Amino acid sequence: MRGYGLFYYISEAFHGLRANSLVNLLAVGTISMAMLIVGFFLLVFFNLQPIVNALGDRLEISVYLKDGLTEHEKDFLVSRLKAEPGVRKVVYLSKADALAVFKKELKGQEALIQGLGENPLPDSYEVSIERPYADADRLEALSKKFSGYPGVEDVSYGKRGAEVLSGLFKIITYGGTALAVLLGVSVVFIISNSVRLALYSRGQEIELMQWIGATKAFIQGPFLIEGMMLAMLGTALATGILAGVYYALPQEVVLFLSRPKGLDFLPPSVVAYMIIGCGFLGLVGGLVSVNKFLE
Amino acid sequence: MIQLYRVTKYYEGVPALRDVTFSVDKGEFVFVTGPSGAGKTTLLKILFCAEHADEGQIVIQGMNVFRLNPSSIPYLRRNMGFVFQDYKLLPHKTVFENIALALKVVGTPYGEIERRAYQVLKKVSMETKLHLTPPKLSGGEQQRVAVARALVNEPQVLLADEPTGNLDPQSGQEVFRLFRDINMKGTTVLVATHDWETVRKMQRRIITMEHGRVADEGRHQTMRAGETQRHNA
Repeated sequence: MRGYGLFYYISEAFHGLRANSLVNLLAVGTISMAMLIVGFFLLVFFNLQPIVNALGDRLEISVYLKDGLTEHEKDFLVSRLKAEPGVRKVVYLSKADALAVFKKELKGQEALIQGLGENPLPDSYEVSIERPYADADRLEALSKKFSGYPGVEDVSYGKRGAEVLSGLFKIITYGGTALAVLLGVSVVFIISNSVRLALYSRGQEIELMQWIGATKAFIQGPFLIEGMMLAMLGTALATGILAGVYYALPQEVVLFLSRPKGLDFLPPSVVAYMIIGCGFLGLVGGLVSVNKFLE
Repeated sequence: MIQLYRVTKYYEGVPALRDVTFSVDKGEFVFVTGPSGAGKTTLLKILFCAEHADEGQIVIQGMNVFRLNPSSIPYLRRNMGFVFQDYKLLPHKTVFENIALALKVVGTPYGEIERRAYQVLKKVSMETKLHLTPPKLSGGEQQRVAVARALVNEPQVLLADEPTGNLDPQSGQEVFRLFRDINMKGTTVLVATHDWETVRKMQRRIITMEHGRVADEGRHQTMRAGETQRHNA
C-alpha cells in the first residue's frame, strides 16, 4: 500500500496552523500561560531540592549511652547501629568531646556551665541518616528502635526539623503532581477545542476526503500533528518567557534565595521533557476531537 | 460487478427502499430513474457505503458490504468514483488541487500527481483551467471537473447522482457524453437521474424505481406518453 509519510502530515499540519492562525495563536498563548505555571513550579522545585537535600543530610539521631559501658559493649552497639538500613555514618562522641562542642556552641556565655562541676554530658553516637530515611516517620521509628538497644540511655533527633522537611517535600511532591495533572488536563482540553474548530472549518474537505477513499489515519494525521505542534509551541514559548525572566532577574533576588551557587535555570533535559510531554498531551487532545468528529 | 438482493432501508421506520433486487454486470451502463423520493439517492448512498441497508445482501466487486469492516470502506470507495449533483468541489482549492486531493488520498507519489491530474483534465477538456478555483467556472465546467476527480483513480465503477440536475441541457449532454466515453473504455456506470430525455436518447438499461421498489427493469426503447408526463412531473 502506497501512502504519504510524516512529511505530508507535517506540511498539512502547517497549512492548518496558517489557515486558523488566530484560533491557534490563542491556543498557543493559553497553553504557554499554563506551562509557565508548570515551568515556574519546576524551577522552584529544582532549586529547592538541593537545599532540602542539604538540610536532610544534616539530620542526625543522637544515641546517648549509659555510664560505665565497656569497650566491648560499645563495639557491639556500634555494629548494631551500623547494620540498621538507612544509617549512613556513626560517629562516637565522648562526654569530653560533647562538652567541648557544647562550650563552642555557648561561646561568650561560658559562665553558664562553670557551675556544673563534673561533666554531666553522656557519651553518645551521632548517627547520620541516608536521605530517603530522613523523614519524620522513619526517624521516629529508628529512634524508638535505637532506644531499645542495650546500653542506650536516651535517643534524640531534630524532630521539628524532620517534620518541617517532610512537610515541605510532601507539599512539593503532591502539590506539584496535582498541579501538573490539572494543567495537563487543561492542555488536552485547550488543544481539543482548537483542533475541533479546525475540524469544523475544514468539515467539507474532510467529508469529501471520506467519500473519495481517505483512510481514517490519512484524515487524522495532520490534525494530530497540528495539536502536537500547538502544545509544543506553547511550551517552548513558556520556557522562553521563563528563561527571559530568569536571566533578567536581579542578583539581589538570587542572593535572597540564599544559595551560594545562585539560582539555577531548568536543566535542558527537563525543558526537553516538558516540550515532548506537552506535545504528547497535544496529540491526545487532537485525537479526542478528531475521533469524535469522524464518528 | 454489483449485486443487490432484497435490500431494504428504513428512515425512522419509514421504508426508503423495499426489497430492491438487481445486478449490474461489468462494463454495463445503467440508468436508475424514477420520481423524486423514489429511493434513487438512497440506493446510490448504500452502494457507496455512505448508508447501511437494514436488510438484504449487497455484493460489490466480490465484497459483501454487510460483512465489510468500517476500516475497509475507504479501499472499496477507491474502486468507485462518485459524481454528485452539487459537484462537491472544494471552492478554495484550484481545479488542479481538487483533482490532486483525490490522488493524494490513495497515496499517489508526488511525481505522478501532476501528470495524472493533467491527463484526466484533458479527458474532460478542462486542462486549460486547472489553475482556476471552482467559483470561477460554469456549472457544466464544475461538473466536468467533478467527473475528472471521480475518474482520476481509474475506478471500476462510476456512480452518479443526478449529475445534470443543476446544469443547462447542453452542459448536461456533455456530461452524459463523457459518461458514455468512460463506459466504452470498460468502466461500469450507474447513473441516477430523472432526465428522461437523455435516458431515452442513450438507449441503455433502465431500472425504474417507485416508492422505494424496483418498478421496472430493462432496456428502454420507447416511452409511453403517460409515463413521460409522470416522470417529468
